[in-house]
Amino acid sequence: MIEIKPYIQKLFAQKELIISDKRQALFEEFIQNESNQQAVKTIIEQQNYLMDKWKLKNRIEDIIALQILIPNATESKEYNAKINFEKLGLNDLIFEEWQGLEEIGLQFDKETDTIKGIPNQSGELKFKLLFKVKGEDENSVPNEKYITLVVNPDPKTLWKNIPSDKEAIFWKEDDAKAFGKLGEKHIVVASNRGRSHENVGSFRDDDFAFKFIEKTGWSVVAVSDGAGSYPLSRKGSELACNAVVDYFENHLDKENFLEFENKLLEFSQTKEENLHKEIEIEAKQKLYKAVLFAHNQIKDLAEKTQQSNPELFNNPKAKSLSDYFHATLIFALFKKFDFGYVVLTFGVGDCPIAIMDKDQVNTSLLNTLDVGEFGGGTRFVTQGDIYQQDAKPLTMAQRFNMQIVTDFSYLFLMTDGIYDAKFVVEANLEKHEKWMEFLEDLNGKNEDNAKVNFNPENEQIADELAHWMDFWSAGNHDDRTLAIIF
Amino acid sequence: MRRLPVYLLLDTSGSMSGEPIEAVKNGVQVMISSLRQNPQAIETAFLSVITFDSSARQIIPLTDLGSFQMVDIRATGTTALGDALKVVSNCIDNEVAKTTAETKGDWKPLVFIMTDGIPTDDWQSGLREFQTRKTAYTVACAAGSGADTNVLKQITENVVSLDTADSQSIAKFFAWVTASIGVSSTKVEDSGKEVTGLNELPPPPSELNIVV
Repeated sequence: MIEIKPYIQKLFAQKELIISDKRQALFEEFIQNESNQQAVKTIIEQQNYLMDKWKLKNRIEDIIALQILIPNATESKEYNAKINFEKLGLNDLIFEEWQGLEEIGLQFDKETDTIKGIPNQSGELKFKLLFKVKGEDENSVPNEKYITLVVNPDPKTLWKNIPSDKEAIFWKEDDAKAFGKLGEKHIVVASNRGRSHENVGSFRDDDFAFKFIEKTGWSVVAVSDGAGSYPLSRKGSELACNAVVDYFENHLDKENFLEFENKLLEFSQTKEENLHKEIEIEAKQKLYKAVLFAHNQIKDLAEKTQQSNPELFNNPKAKSLSDYFHATLIFALFKKFDFGYVVLTFGVGDCPIAIMDKDQVNTSLLNTLDVGEFGGGTRFVTQGDIYQQDAKPLTMAQRFNMQIVTDFSYLFLMTDGIYDAKFVVEANLEKHEKWMEFLEDLNGKNEDNAKVNFNPENEQIADELAHWMDFWSAGNHDDRTLAIIF
Repeated sequence: MRRLPVYLLLDTSGSMSGEPIEAVKNGVQVMISSLRQNPQAIETAFLSVITFDSSARQIIPLTDLGSFQMVDIRATGTTALGDALKVVSNCIDNEVAKTTAETKGDWKPLVFIMTDGIPTDDWQSGLREFQTRKTAYTVACAAGSGADTNVLKQITENVVSLDTADSQSIAKFFAWVTASIGVSSTKVEDSGKEVTGLNELPPPPSELNIVV
């Protein structure tokens, strides 16, 4: 109930209208007048109307200014963000409508109060929330609030694929793959240029080579990873692999090697421990010659290249010409005898070699990886100091391995582009179950359902492996090379 | 995956209010948008923002670029640079994963410091803590003539200065930080090697003076 009298008294006082004592009776009569009373009511109503209207305007402005943070989205990836109206203090909305969501591939689900869908573009995208608050006329034009949604580009689309320069010195194919027979075994191998190289048009630094050497019955498989920070490493890796194959095919002291084989045969009969040791030492000596051969081949080429293209040798950090060709090297030399397989390996750098037994119950890592505490601590076949007596972290002798097994199901050689993504840490390379997971992955247990059918009759096998190797792994975009003997 | 942690230490003392603080906010925004276009950075780089005025606090924990959202910052108070160095030391301990036999650690963090004034707290004790943490590199930027490059020079070898703390210079600084993060993330992914100093970063724009 409005107090008419005090209201008019206050009004008059404000306006300095004085009611004299002798007019008090008249004033009493004045306030009793119905039309005057009505006037007061109307004034107060109008005032309230103004105040409410102002409050409403303020409220609307507050809502428009309110920061609604919603999680960022990624293009082509399912998005789901709940708008918690209560938490945002938006309990007084009587009407909401979203505008501009559909254009970007999203929609608002009223039942769950969520923005969902698959964004079809990237950028800082704006859309509108049309709203009315309690107190507004239902037929009024709704208010507009802009909301920004950050949609990240799909990382996959950011990578460019620029072919490498075919005119450049030591150019090689960006991708390579092969399938072949190695005695009674088969090999499938692929080497893919990494996305980080595709993105800038640089070369594949990885390489591989293999051969079944008929005249001796030995098979050789080599894999190498050229050091990305050295400009001619693509040739270093290529030459390292080819030199190893070349050595065992053409430069081996055959008589000496036959003697070695005879010792192996003798051991298979006697199982004599001392003989085993002797064989192991001899194996190291034989493989060492191949390593040195590769090292020297690269050294020779480095010298020749410096003569022909001195301008390429301008890196102040390089200590020798061979540094420009820095490459890791792993290789396996194996042969089937009546008693089983002899598998000899060598490794320098951070690329693993592993053998899985016939029954697939055990996998052995055949080399110790050269890995530094913070990465980048790898060693190269091109480095002189790996041949030093007190070489660190591994001596030359620790780089070799010999396995005498009745048979094996798989022999793997890979570069860090595969191992970083699939095994993550070195410790996992020692775990058979991780190798079984890796095998399952090769058999199609992966996001893309990419599968390699390990059947020698499979004409697509090399393509399948190359395709499988195209897997997506965040942060792992190095060259990838994988050789599998089965 | 090995992350590349990036810590931004931003001076939000009173003297930064107005144009400088707006320029810093804008600089971070532009930096994020631009790094999001770099396929290596968007996967590898993780960013954290630490602000310091009368005290320091981590306002954004180490966050991948994809989810990163800049928050509002205001300029007020004094310049507790020492506290900021303590905070970043703690954050490095808690957030940056170390390499073990079973887990792959992160790359060594990059730290960018930007200040327009002289520290008002015991910055040496903060520095002593910070020095025991391993970083790939730390870059300090003295914005305007009020900053003391001698102090910054004791924190890191890599000190750059801006003649004035206006929006154009600050924008240039952030553009250079952006390029540096881009180069670092590419480098760690390509060659598995970390960037170790200013000389491996892209050349700074002319607005940035290298303090020798």
